Amino acid sequence: MDVLTVTALCKRFGSVVAVDGVSFTVGAGEVVGLLGPNGAGKTTTLHMVLGLTRPDSGTVEMFGHDMARDRSRALARANFAASYLHLPAVLRVGEILDVYAHLYGLRRPAARVAEMVEMLDLGPLRRQQFSRLSSGQQTRVLLAKALLNDPGLLVLDEPTANLDPDAADRIRGLLVEQAVTSGRAMLITSHNMREVERMCDRVHFVSGGRIVATGSAVELAGAYGVDDLEAVFLRVARGGAPSSTT
Amino acid sequence: MGIVKRDFYALRGNGGRLLEIFFWPVLELVIWGFVSVFLRANNVPIAVSMLLGAVLLWQVVGRAQGELAAMFLHDVWSRNLLNVFVSPTSLAEFLTGHVIFGAGLIALSTAVMSGLALLLYGFGIATIGPALVPFVTLLVVMGWGLGVVSIAVVIRFGESTQSVAWVLSAAFQPFAAVFYPVGVLPPVAQAIAHAVPASYVFEGLRGVLDGHGIDWSGVAMAGLLDLLLVAGALAFVAHALRHARRTGRLSKFGE
Repeated sequence: MDVLTVTALCKRFGSVVAVDGVSFTVGAGEVVGLLGPNGAGKTTTLHMVLGLTRPDSGTVEMFGHDMARDRSRALARANFAASYLHLPAVLRVGEILDVYAHLYGLRRPAARVAEMVEMLDLGPLRRQQFSRLSSGQQTRVLLAKALLNDPGLLVLDEPTANLDPDAADRIRGLLVEQAVTSGRAMLITSHNMREVERMCDRVHFVSGGRIVATGSAVELAGAYGVDDLEAVFLRVARGGAPSSTT
Repeated sequence: MGIVKRDFYALRGNGGRLLEIFFWPVLELVIWGFVSVFLRANNVPIAVSMLLGAVLLWQVVGRAQGELAAMFLHDVWSRNLLNVFVSPTSLAEFLTGHVIFGAGLIALSTAVMSGLALLLYGFGIATIGPALVPFVTLLVVMGWGLGVVSIAVVIRFGESTQSVAWVLSAAFQPFAAVFYPVGVLPPVAQAIAHAVPASYVFEGLRGVLDGHGIDWSGVAMAGLLDLLLVAGALAFVAHALRHARRTGRLSKFGE
């Protein structure tokens, strides 16, 4: 069963076509990547999925709810983290999680916060203000916030963009574990091809606001006649076409 | 509940802001208090209670508007706004949470100022009598209406317009007849004043302190204008949010 169905999304900002007829699905427990060069329309697509930006045309259905009409019920079962978002600077880690546990209407907020603190090893940071944390620590808190409501769909926009390789690897490991153990569906954008190869069951390459190629990392590499996803990315970014249809 | 908790934690974690909540109203109270003492000492026929009552009540508008706008802007500055808007929290719940916490802050700052007015100048806010309840209610609602307008302006026109949050209630003060009757204003300004709910409150305050009792028609008029203001403000913020979603401006709050 699909947790997310995106159909023919289009968005134009003035004369710029940001997203042009994007359609895809994310099944339960599936990890789907949106890849593409800067300005390809990935973040705009994610923001339309989450209801932050209204599409000019097309529909987004999340857990069977039309996002245009039933946003709150859909969002109660999803969550989001992005490298460019922060959390309230002066709040302590424990306070932030407590606030979001209430914003997501959790029944036992204190117990769930304790679980998240344990899962993401935030115990020593619980009384620290968010602004005083390192980038890696902040990302862990953002992920704890994003996992608080045990979302059936986790949307991640370049989740490891600001992290050093070690911190990024730990976060990636955690996300893979989440996908495997909890069967959580994820929709991810990333510029880190190894991350995508490791995490995603299926990848959509986006260029000029359109999906230009779809498949698993292996299928895409095969279709473009190259060794890995990074080489596929370079081909797509430079306007290359697959050597066979995927 | 989540928004109320967020506001409480944010205030507790920012000592400077806690200080700011009391600093400006107390400064104004002290200055106007000594002005009134000086005038009385020089036999100028002025009622100290009118000046101090006006100062105490006007800060209610400023606090209600400023705190509502500030709590929203803190989410903007923290780049946290999108996290709130991708949660199931609706705009109505978001505003209600801020309003509930803001009501507590107004009660606290008014209590502190009232205590100071009594201590320094022997002016008890209870002098105003039962009229205090409708007067404060009308002013708080006006402040919240202006606070929602401030938020709507920032959502609609972007972060660069955030100074509106700091000046909006002050812009209404000349027309609110806080320290003088509406009658001293030029005709055009009088027409504007008659559309400002606070002008009826401050005219009513002077009447009560003069021993004329509550002017219920003025209270009713202020109530009607408050309703119109709040309804207009809510319509504006809903429009601003729709516009921000349509143009992609909402996403810019994450940058």
